[in-house]
Amino acid sequence: MSMVMDLGFPSFDYSTTTMTAASADEGCNWNTWSPVVDWKALSGDQEDFQNLIDSMMDENVVLHPIDQLEETEEEEEYNNLSPEYNMAEAEDSKGVRLIHLLTAAAEAVVGPNECRGLARVILVRLKELVSPTDGTNMERLAAYFTDALQALLDAASGGKHPLGVEHHRTDVLAAFQLLQDMSPYVKFGHFTANQAILEAVTHDRRVHIVDYDIMEGIQWAPLMQALASRKDGPPAPHLRITAVSRSGTGRRSFSAVQETGRRLANFAASIGKPFSFHQCRLDADETFRPSSLKLVRGEALVVNCMLHLPHFTHRAPDSIASFLSGARTLNPRLITLVEEETAPPSEGGFLGRFMDLLHHFSAIYDSLEAGFPMQWRARALVERVFLGPRIMGSLARMYRARETGEGCSWGQWMGAVGFHPVNISFANHCQAKLLLGLYNDGYRVEELTSNKLVLGWKLRRLLSASIWTSQDCDL
Amino acid sequence: MFHPKKASSMNSPMCDSGLVLTTDPKPRLRWTVELHERFVDAVTQLGGPDKATPKTIMRVMGVKGLTLYHLKSHLQKFRLGKQPHKDFNDHSIKDASSLELQRNNASSSGMMGRSMNEMQMEVNRRLHEQLEVQRHLQLRIEAHGKYMQTILEKACQTVLAGDNKSAAGPTLNFPTLQDLNMYGSSDHLHHQSMEMESFIDKKRSTPYTGKSPLVWADDLRLQELGTASCLDDQIGPLSVDRGSDIDSVSDIYETKPMLSGGHDHKKYDVKMDRPSPTPPRTVAISAGGMRSSPFG
Repeated sequence: MSMVMDLGFPSFDYSTTTMTAASADEGCNWNTWSPVVDWKALSGDQEDFQNLIDSMMDENVVLHPIDQLEETEEEEEYNNLSPEYNMAEAEDSKGVRLIHLLTAAAEAVVGPNECRGLARVILVRLKELVSPTDGTNMERLAAYFTDALQALLDAASGGKHPLGVEHHRTDVLAAFQLLQDMSPYVKFGHFTANQAILEAVTHDRRVHIVDYDIMEGIQWAPLMQALASRKDGPPAPHLRITAVSRSGTGRRSFSAVQETGRRLANFAASIGKPFSFHQCRLDADETFRPSSLKLVRGEALVVNCMLHLPHFTHRAPDSIASFLSGARTLNPRLITLVEEETAPPSEGGFLGRFMDLLHHFSAIYDSLEAGFPMQWRARALVERVFLGPRIMGSLARMYRARETGEGCSWGQWMGAVGFHPVNISFANHCQAKLLLGLYNDGYRVEELTSNKLVLGWKLRRLLSASIWTSQDCDL
Repeated sequence: MFHPKKASSMNSPMCDSGLVLTTDPKPRLRWTVELHERFVDAVTQLGGPDKATPKTIMRVMGVKGLTLYHLKSHLQKFRLGKQPHKDFNDHSIKDASSLELQRNNASSSGMMGRSMNEMQMEVNRRLHEQLEVQRHLQLRIEAHGKYMQTILEKACQTVLAGDNKSAAGPTLNFPTLQDLNMYGSSDHLHHQSMEMESFIDKKRSTPYTGKSPLVWADDLRLQELGTASCLDDQIGPLSVDRGSDIDSVSDIYETKPMLSGGHDHKKYDVKMDRPSPTPPRTVAISAGGMRSSPFG
């Protein structure tokens, strides 16, 4: 098979290897970026290729810097080193090898049709190497990415993209609980948004929140408590929540949301908080119609849009856009938006975003492991229920958007569409720092812009919470 | 800055350690200029009012007769900036207080000039606000935990009642804590599970009849631990002693029975009949490694 590919491959600094850009007019220039295999020989038939992959899989092959391709002597030397060193090195090198394979597969998937076969072979090999429940972080992560790429391939060659397994409810709950305990992921977004809401409605008697993805309603319990016990402003403000629901069954269906409403009402009653709950249905194509919302005069309208884990809203960017722009027409007092910090499509095309996504989830895996090194089963559960599907969905969305190459983060979109930023208060920032202090040291919070707080793990930004308003006057 | 109003009218006897205690029926410590200076020095040495604790201050100051009680209250005042001279913050009587300001500035160690004082006021204000935030955060996390509990309990009941019709998937796949390996080794778990089970049974009246009670106990345990960990971790940073040994949630999942038995504070009552969560200070955490609340 001929490997004619135009790879406008951007240069990345990923772990220990450097990939250089390939010039557009030279066919397949993989030789310059993959130090392990002599890709030039790839023009052979399937068998030869298989052998090549096999040689890559060989555990004795060690990665060396890009200019050294002949390494037999070094190999011998290497094998004489202590076993532990060997082990760690082997693990590291396996990790890097996996990355190479994944990148190669990703490239092949978005390449011309001839490369699909290559992609398939690589994915088969990957599947033999990794398992979603076994091995190191990198290996488990690679397993999910492999599955996601496989799904892309299947969809591209005419099959249907699998929507993902619907997990058993108890699994979901257990994973939800674990995710919240093991990392500040969930609470960071919720608490930051809540604090901003509290500050915006200090003098209001009636508050109306429109929630895009209410899930179990966990975000609102602390807000209710805070509203019920606030010292300044009118006491016992009435809280009204309208949850957006979708047609069909599943976690975001009408009945599930109804259940959440009941639970919230019980909770509100238990703390003596006046409360009412409504639903607002999305159209079949998940478009939001502002007219279907019931509004009351004199209430402070707040729009809440949580897009991060464990919310499963990565599948429908159009829906989100319709929601936010529809919200704008209602002139809300405040809009709270929490989203994942991943590279926008303009950077590096599909491959760039692929690497970025890999990096992103790698950081998440690391953060979970750092806090809970021994509880890998618990982490595996969270990975299976939340992270894996998210990887799958994000990749699918990236793949669909690969041609257009436009798009930006929701935060940028908000600014462009005409929302005004609202400053994050000292108290809010303080709260975030305190919250992170309850978890592992590696988490940090930074105030990226005056209206945006970002949660990061070590050097990687994970989540951002931003506050907006559509009203021109100052709050 | 924390000088007694009538600094000149000290006619109380001096004791051996050089401390001035009044002849009041209640023996109170007079914070003299020198003593306060030593205090501020010690606090600065320890890294500021946030990092310093009464115990460490006591050690650093090395003043005989000075008790933790004295230091606790003085440190609290220092942090909150609650000076006896309240008129510092009142701009309308600037003239009257400026004299006092000067006097106090001259005698406070390192504080010279009005701007420094203002800076310190600002710092105190911020510290005060930070304390507020801490308090609120604790309450909110509590509410969060309470709510989480209702979700899990509901789920328990539904599944217990034999309602397995939610979604595809194999038979009841409820991951027990053994599966999740939450406690590391299995005998660890066994020991803990026995303790926790008795704890659960004692505290709850939810009926578990037959049908693998261990599974539900596990789950509620998980919940208990999850929320308990939040609260316990909260007490850590809020406490005056910064040398906290509980600073990550992981400790909860790995340590042993520190959460069992000693918990006599039932924060998450099943019936939720408490109208509002209790403030942190009344939560009695008697489990190992916990220090007393800083608020009194």
